[in-house]
Amino acid sequence: MEILLLIVWIVILFTVVMLHVAYATYFERKIIGHMQVRLGPMRVGWHGLLQPIADGVKSFFKEDIIPENADRPTFLAAPIICLVAMMSSLAVLPFAKGWVLADIDIGLLFVFAMSSLASYGVVLAGWSSNSKYSFLGGMRSMAQVISYEISMGLSLVGVMLLAGSLNLSAIVEAQGDRFLGMYLLPQCLGFFVFFISMLAETNRVPFDLPEAETELVSGYCTEYSGMRYAIFFMAEYIGMMVMASIGTLCFLGGWHGPFPVPFFPPLWFVLKVYLFMFIFIWIRATLPRYRYDQLMDLGWKMLIPLALANIVLTACLKAILT
Amino acid sequence: MQIQYKPRRGWLGTIFQIEILQGMNLTLKRLFSKPITRQYPDERPQVCAGFRGQHALVRDAATGDSTCVGCMRCVAVCPSRCIQIRTHRDPKAGNRRVIDDYRIEAPRCVYCGFCEEVCPVNAIVLTKVFEYSRFERPSLLFTKEQLLDNWDRFVSQPDSQADGYLNPFWRPRGLAEGDLPAPKRLPVPSEWSGEQQVVGRLWRQHLPPGHV
Amino acid sequence: MSRPLMQHLEVPVPDGEGERYSLRMGPQHPATHGVLRVDLELDGETILACMPQVGYLHRGIEKLAESRTYAQGLILTDRLDYIAAMANNVGYCVAVERLLSISVPLRAKYIRTMVAEMSRICSHLLWLATHALDIGAMTVFLYCFREREILLDLFEELCGARLTFSYPRIGGVRQDVTAGFISELQRFLDIFPSKMEEYETLIDTNRIWLKRTVGVGKVTGEEALALGLTGACLRGSGIDYDIRKHQPYDAYGLVDFEVPLGRDGDIYARYRCRMEELHQSARIIQQCIDQLPPGPIVGPDAPDLVMPAKASPRIAAGATTYGAGLIKLIRDRGPYLAGDIYVATEVPKGELGFYFISDGSSRPYRMHIRSPSFIHIGAMAAIAKGGLVADLIANIGSLDIVLGESDR
Repeated sequence: MEILLLIVWIVILFTVVMLHVAYATYFERKIIGHMQVRLGPMRVGWHGLLQPIADGVKSFFKEDIIPENADRPTFLAAPIICLVAMMSSLAVLPFAKGWVLADIDIGLLFVFAMSSLASYGVVLAGWSSNSKYSFLGGMRSMAQVISYEISMGLSLVGVMLLAGSLNLSAIVEAQGDRFLGMYLLPQCLGFFVFFISMLAETNRVPFDLPEAETELVSGYCTEYSGMRYAIFFMAEYIGMMVMASIGTLCFLGGWHGPFPVPFFPPLWFVLKVYLFMFIFIWIRATLPRYRYDQLMDLGWKMLIPLALANIVLTACLKAILT
Repeated sequence: MQIQYKPRRGWLGTIFQIEILQGMNLTLKRLFSKPITRQYPDERPQVCAGFRGQHALVRDAATGDSTCVGCMRCVAVCPSRCIQIRTHRDPKAGNRRVIDDYRIEAPRCVYCGFCEEVCPVNAIVLTKVFEYSRFERPSLLFTKEQLLDNWDRFVSQPDSQADGYLNPFWRPRGLAEGDLPAPKRLPVPSEWSGEQQVVGRLWRQHLPPGHV
Repeated sequence: MSRPLMQHLEVPVPDGEGERYSLRMGPQHPATHGVLRVDLELDGETILACMPQVGYLHRGIEKLAESRTYAQGLILTDRLDYIAAMANNVGYCVAVERLLSISVPLRAKYIRTMVAEMSRICSHLLWLATHALDIGAMTVFLYCFREREILLDLFEELCGARLTFSYPRIGGVRQDVTAGFISELQRFLDIFPSKMEEYETLIDTNRIWLKRTVGVGKVTGEEALALGLTGACLRGSGIDYDIRKHQPYDAYGLVDFEVPLGRDGDIYARYRCRMEELHQSARIIQQCIDQLPPGPIVGPDAPDLVMPAKASPRIAAGATTYGAGLIKLIRDRGPYLAGDIYVATEVPKGELGFYFISDGSSRPYRMHIRSPSFIHIGAMAAIAKGGLVADLIANIGSLDIVLGESDR
């Protein structure tokens, strides 16, 4: 009986997240469109509101092309690995008090593990396509994920120190419901490092090197088409949402807001996640792209030392204050 | 002249990412400005008079036929050689040339407008119509009747400004006034030949009243 | 994967280790500005050798010109650099006028200068748009297109076409400018500086843009001369060479403008040069509007568009019928017609030269086009070597190539 209930919850979560992913693409296209003095999607439905659905239907019925010399099993598995890894990290995210599928004590570590697992999908996709652009994209992705995973993990150590827990619900509770309690202020250095690593981790501009469309055509997903391509797309957006959620939970006080919302407790959480998404999109509309070696420079020479300094600072402060 | 670079950012600018924030401020401002997109099939573009679009033979109101005299100047000048004219001599009308057919192979045309420019009687024009793509090639080989129909369709449009198409160009060179074989070329508008020309700083006074 | 692509280049593999990776970039690639193919030998992402391949857009324009009269050849030049067709048209007309020694009235000269500079702004805006897009700044792209659209609308109002203008004529221009056109152009010039500021806000001092452009794709002055670079690519390296200034044609001798010169010869210097040229072009247009003299727009000795290929006996005997214009010209100035001439003009991409060999008929015996893009593509191999793939993309954008012109 309990398992049945869990399955129902999973299905609901899946549906809701998928809807959010679909409309996140719409949100992105609309916002970037208006920032670029365009209109964005307009033709399908009122102001293009049905565009994500049309896109989904289109990619579902599109021909699924598998290159002749591709490594077939890996080629087929790569997008699934990506999607599954990204979706399983949703299980540990608390959307509101008690609104969590699996309230495990190592929630933060689990999310890290899953997001690094997703990069395997990208690397395998790049390798198995047997295409030169995909291969370069996969290599870039590998290097990028390895270096930014470190700085991101280190940037959150400060949060762990302050909260004294790896459980995401506990981290939120530790911040309390006051504005000043948010870890954004004491952890501003950590937040800065986390934010940049988050952009790199989710392959967003200015770090979208693995799929840099003007350099590598489309990077690791050059050879993918139809639904498989859409799965990569979904994984990318779920990744964005997961990262935005981690940022919200660890730095912005999770579901706490100025006043509690009666019937829909996760409202503040959703708003904060969408604020993050907006900033993602905003940055995409503004900034150019780093070069591969400059990205490595930034990661190893800037962010990791900063994150380490942040850990030392936080630990010292905590030792002094307590 | 050596170009001047903007000064390099200071350490404050580096830490607080000033130039990135300025850029983001601009994109945020543009988010709320009016988009410039024209929703094409719903919103028609304003095509200026003189646009070189679909070909047409002007239908003469008096005779109901083309004014073409078969002088072959357009055939001679066409750089892509897409115009064909067949003529015969009519002994009854003082041995003048009568055209049997006038064909334009639209897919080969480069829309340079040379033909309308050299036509001494304003018979051939390139109209404003630009939406005439077809699925099959033969329907773009316009015959004389089709070209006359094109003209009818064009003038029946509400904003056709057909007068603007009746040869506002400079006179064909090397052609004495008396040699023009048929109804004379329209006189060049006076505003292009001296007194009313737009000149230097004085151009504002030529604007029609109420024009910004 | 490691099959050497260019054995004849003898590419050394550094340290004797690592595998070479050959990549054929293009002709279908989003950042090669058309149908350029670049064969690359890579070590990781470092370019060991780079060999551009052109010819995918070859239409035989030089050969086509041999079977067209001088007047008809004009439309072929529209298809060279289709981004700045007007500048090509003007260049062609200037060349033919020098060959046939035809005079152009002053008003036509001013109008031509004006439209050529408009087309320079169009071209530079498109260059900035695509260059920024290549480096990843996608918003600049649409901001540039917003202003380019205004200019294309103006061109449409002026001559009825938005891309392939065929507006100048040998010995003049096709139509006179109207007051409405000039007022719209003035309005554009009024808003243009503020729009330029927008582009510069987004990229000019942006640290990522600086990282991607400063010190990348360096060409010293001597190298640039040896590679035959012209236009902003040469001026970015500090060589003061602008045909508009040093061998003025049309009304360039009568207007006041500066030739911006760069220092370092890197992508950033070329970028700054072109941005400054945009300001200078706007200045030239403003002066053309202010100084526009009255008068005819076609000279008295301009040939008719209908140029017969050979003088038929009937016409040569003096009978007055159509198309006698050029025949008269040929008879009157026989000695000037046969011979050859090279006339260069400054188009947005660099020095566009037309070399004519005339045998006295109204068709060129041979027309050769010295197109800047072709020569810049040739220089790419030297510039991109040793950089990364991302630098190659930035270099392609910075050299400002158009394949229609290079392959003609």
